[in-house]
Amino acid sequence: MQIKLKVFRYLPHTGKKPHYDTYEMEVDPNERVLDVLEQVRADSDPSLGYRRSCAHGVCGSDAMRINGRNMLACKVLVKDLNSTQITVEPILGLKVLRDLIVDMEPFFDHFRSVMPYFVNDDPIPEDGKERLQSPAQRERFDDTTKCILCAACTTSCPSFWANGKYVGPAAIVNAHRFIFDSRDTAAAERLEVLNEDSGVWRCRTAFNCTEACPRDIEITKAIAEVKQVIYSGKIE
Amino acid sequence: MSNLKTTLTGYASYRGKEGHYSFILHRITGLGTALFLIIHILDTSFVYFFPDLYQHAISLYRSTLFGIAEVGLVFCVFFHGVNGLRVAFFDLIAPRLWSVPKQRFSTKITLLITLLMWVPASAIMLYNMLYHNFGWFGG
Ligand code: SF4
Ligand code: FES
Repeated sequence: MQIKLKVFRYLPHTGKKPHYDTYEMEVDPNERVLDVLEQVRADSDPSLGYRRSCAHGVCGSDAMRINGRNMLACKVLVKDLNSTQITVEPILGLKVLRDLIVDMEPFFDHFRSVMPYFVNDDPIPEDGKERLQSPAQRERFDDTTKCILCAACTTSCPSFWANGKYVGPAAIVNAHRFIFDSRDTAAAERLEVLNEDSGVWRCRTAFNCTEACPRDIEITKAIAEVKQVIYSGKIE
Repeated sequence: MSNLKTTLTGYASYRGKEGHYSFILHRITGLGTALFLIIHILDTSFVYFFPDLYQHAISLYRSTLFGIAEVGLVFCVFFHGVNGLRVAFFDLIAPRLWSVPKQRFSTKITLLITLLMWVPASAIMLYNMLYHNFGWFGG
């Protein structure tokens, strides 16, 4: 099929202002938007910048705004956009470094701020093996283990657009994964970070994060659960 | 990009689903209600400070323009109230309701409840305005 691809362009070293380039091209409807970008880079403009690695929805490096909505370019087929016009822009709220590439550092700073790793300094169990957990206890945080840190959620959030200090949905999802892990012992520290002005209370439940997540994580629900733990003092 | 520019770009151009538009409507109706409250506090304070101006303010309220604005105000109050209850209930009492289908459905129901309250209320208000300001219906 014939499509018109409009891509946000910004190459700081050229001194040109941010603008859009348009490419008319013939593509297979079963191709993904990532394939279309690869085609542009191969055939028309090798300077086009974007991140990608796995090309299979696993690494989380190619989140971008496609026709106005955050998605992974490697997970969306051209035919599923139901349009012959495709507009591709960088995710919103992080500084654009080049074309579709944004500075992810502030995003990872927020991620790091919630201690996204397992903490338990208790002596290892007597048998010297694992810290046991029942299937139900494991199930409790299963949903939030699926995050690939693509930032589609955080950069779709109106609260994050307004204030980059907000830790954002992705950081809360990753905090949730450990707060509800029965083997972890650092929930209190994480909840302290999330109870600050830049924490969970900035979530206004706009729901863009949940709609944008390529892993179908129920993000708004996870955030509400963390809010509940903070005001009830109980992890259930 | 400044935060304000990013925010406005996002509000206007991000193609979110029901939640995005419900969030924006909640903001706008909140601002509308707040604006009215500020004006209302000011004009009521005239009773004490400038009684003559107060009379003037009241007659302004009876004007057609304010009558129409009031119909909008009532929408703002109804939507902001109903949606606020929805969000508070989901977020504070039943987080499990934050699933994609339930959330989408609930935003539509919120709008429906708002309209069910607003349409009759605005009919009464418009009737009164036409009666008093234009002499319709034998007024
Ligand atoms: S929660 Fe979903 S949208 Fe957010 S960073 Fe993780 S995978 Fe991406
Ligand atoms: S390239 Fe790895 S998730 Fe898309």
